Amino acid sequence: MSVEEVLSRGAHLLTVEVRLLWLVGTLYMVASVVSLSGLLTGEKAGYRAPHALVGLTLVLHTGVILLRIFETGRAPFQTLYESLSWFSFTSTITYLFVARRWHRVALPCFFVTLIASCAIFYALLGRSPEAKPLSPPLQSWWFEWHVVVAFSSYAVFVVSSAFEATYLIARRLMRNRDHALGLTVEELRPFRGMATKLVIFGFPMLTFGIFSGAAWANEAWGRYWGWDPKETWSLITWTVFAMYLHAQSVPRWRDNVASTLNLLGFLCMIMTFLGVNWLSKLLGIPSLHVYAV
Amino acid sequence: MRKTDNIRGRLYRWFTSLRTSVYLFALLTVFYIVGTIFPQGVDTESYRQAGGRFIGAVELLGLLDIFHTPLFYLVAILLLVNLTVCTWERFQGVRRRAWRESPDVERTYSFALSCQETEEVLEEFMKKNRFRPVSRDEATITVEKGIYYRYLTLLYHAGIVVCFVGFFLTGFFVKEGLLVLKPGEPVAIESRMMPEIRGWLAKEGPPPFSIQLDEFRTEYILSRKLNYPEDGLSRLAMALGWQDITYTDEERYYPKDWFSSLRILDGGTTAVEKTIQVNDPLRYRGYTFYQVGFEERLKLKMDDKVFTVTTNKKKKIDELDRTIIFTGFRRGTLFRPDGTVEELHPFVTIKELTEDGKKRPVGRLHLGESIEIGGKSLYFEGFEETSILSYRYDPGVWLLWYAGFSVFGLMALRCLGRWYMLRFRIEKKEGRTLLTVRIHSRGLMADAQRVSGLLSAHLERFTG
Ligand code: HEM
Repeated sequence: MSVEEVLSRGAHLLTVEVRLLWLVGTLYMVASVVSLSGLLTGEKAGYRAPHALVGLTLVLHTGVILLRIFETGRAPFQTLYESLSWFSFTSTITYLFVARRWHRVALPCFFVTLIASCAIFYALLGRSPEAKPLSPPLQSWWFEWHVVVAFSSYAVFVVSSAFEATYLIARRLMRNRDHALGLTVEELRPFRGMATKLVIFGFPMLTFGIFSGAAWANEAWGRYWGWDPKETWSLITWTVFAMYLHAQSVPRWRDNVASTLNLLGFLCMIMTFLGVNWLSKLLGIPSLHVYAV
Repeated sequence: MRKTDNIRGRLYRWFTSLRTSVYLFALLTVFYIVGTIFPQGVDTESYRQAGGRFIGAVELLGLLDIFHTPLFYLVAILLLVNLTVCTWERFQGVRRRAWRESPDVERTYSFALSCQETEEVLEEFMKKNRFRPVSRDEATITVEKGIYYRYLTLLYHAGIVVCFVGFFLTGFFVKEGLLVLKPGEPVAIESRMMPEIRGWLAKEGPPPFSIQLDEFRTEYILSRKLNYPEDGLSRLAMALGWQDITYTDEERYYPKDWFSSLRILDGGTTAVEKTIQVNDPLRYRGYTFYQVGFEERLKLKMDDKVFTVTTNKKKKIDELDRTIIFTGFRRGTLFRPDGTVEELHPFVTIKELTEDGKKRPVGRLHLGESIEIGGKSLYFEGFEETSILSYRYDPGVWLLWYAGFSVFGLMALRCLGRWYMLRFRIEKKEGRTLLTVRIHSRGLMADAQRVSGLLSAHLERFTG
């Protein structure tokens, strides 16, 4: 094939991929709306329909990711466009896995699919889908492992915070009744335990994510830690989740303090991922960071 | 925990408390966040010039280098002491297996068997499910399965202490700098290095070897600029079939890799030769040399006057009434999308800075050729490339890796693995034998209910 033919085939595949991703984002959004309306009506279909829709969308999303791998010939998380798609993919997969036991509770489904669709729409509207070749620093054994493990931990934290938020809302609603949002009073504790289990699962992964990132930086640039905002925010996320895990062992903090820390950990994760210098902009501080995003 | 109420006792208790750790973590987080808001490692003057705010606080609290302020070190050291004392304190308790927590499952069974026979039935259950005995007295039998989780917790917390030691070793003893290498010119580590060297070990004198660049090479991948709409509405319209994505004619050269062929000269002979690239450094005698970048200087001629320019910088040429930017100097190997490979004839892309600050493309200038700009001829006579390496001597890094990855492994085992402890209590009551079992479990793979089910199934024949 000539250069023209290769590029025009690439452009065609990219067009198909981008259109499918729009469809995936829209379906996640629909699932989110359906799970919310199911909550309001309290019908059985209210939790069945969104879960079925998420399952179906995931099949399509898997196809989009495989198509991207085919187009680029590498792992699909180099650019922010790719990472956002991967992030929503892993979050929804983790959710569906965890939701097997809690499928009657639709609110976490609302949160997760809302986050997943927002991530995809941000990728489509705010970033370019261009498939660039791997830049020299990314050509490393660490690239795949570091990113896969770090993103998996993010996915786990998304689902954990969705459970934590649902728990907090359900607990409040149960002040004057014995069930809410598909949960009974007895189920409240094990449901919240799921959020803790998820953090316990994600924390070692985030630990590996940070260590492998440092090992990679050491191999590529000769320094393992440079305090650039991205690194620092990942350390903040890690520290907040460490606080969460330790707060679980302090009786007085086990409940509200720990819940707040879990939700805070989620916000820090979003800062690591997307907006490392929003705060500087908000305060009008010039960002002279070398690696600022 | 010690109960003494004097200052030492109270201090000790403060340092062994988990709440202290959470407070210290919170305090560190404040430092971290400040470090992401204020640019780090820049001087106050540049910060002021860039329109920086809160100058007074910035100067007073050292906000532009917050991770090297005494206050930050103090909090980090307090956490280290907290961690060390806490680990030590719990190390003493862990062997005793002080067991206060409530079990995950507690059940009582009633048998018509004697105590002796009940013990035999339990023995059989333990063998079948591979539980090992921990302790036994007259009334209770304790068995367990998996690695005792507190050992793991303890070990990885101790591992974190070792990581801190690694950090400190790096902080105190690291030697690092940048080297700018021209082909064929050996450079002694001490002579061309940048002044940024920390640590008193550096005063020991330079290492007795030098490094030489034999060749610098670059490789590129060819692509084209994508025709993709900038605004969201057009992107949405595109998704709905308004138009397809295409590639424009504008060429893009993406760097594939940079290679420096290096040789280390030690005692008058070549000790090592290696071609390094990003992610594949050269190691020699504790030093590591990394490819971090390169610099190109072009030799040009206009009206018989020769001048040199550095690529990607603005240059006001006296003979011309305009500012020129020489971007994207390309030479080396080019990989095309159709799989063909081409050796590039060196060229530079020239842009002109217009009055409204925009960059207007002028054209490509190949080596040994000329281009017309403003009615004058600009000739490309030659070029010089230098490879930029960073080097580092870091006696702490190996400790950090071993400790760090052990921490990860142990933490993963603790969190994701499974551990069970079963405590049986056998009593005689009203002519029957009562067996109470308390099941404790830890780790995500542990399922106390399942073990309870297995036990019930095993005892089914004898109960009733
Ligand atoms: C510096 C970073 C630290 C990290 C990453 C860390 C991590 C963790 C994690 C993930 C857990 C939960 C899992 C488990 O029980 O093994 C935990 C538990 C624990 N940590 Fe830390 N920790 C750190 C510092 C400290 C410090 C300074 C103390 C001293 C007070 C401490 C004391 C404990 C104790 C006692 C537990 C067990 C709680 C229980 O029995 O449930 N940790 N830590």
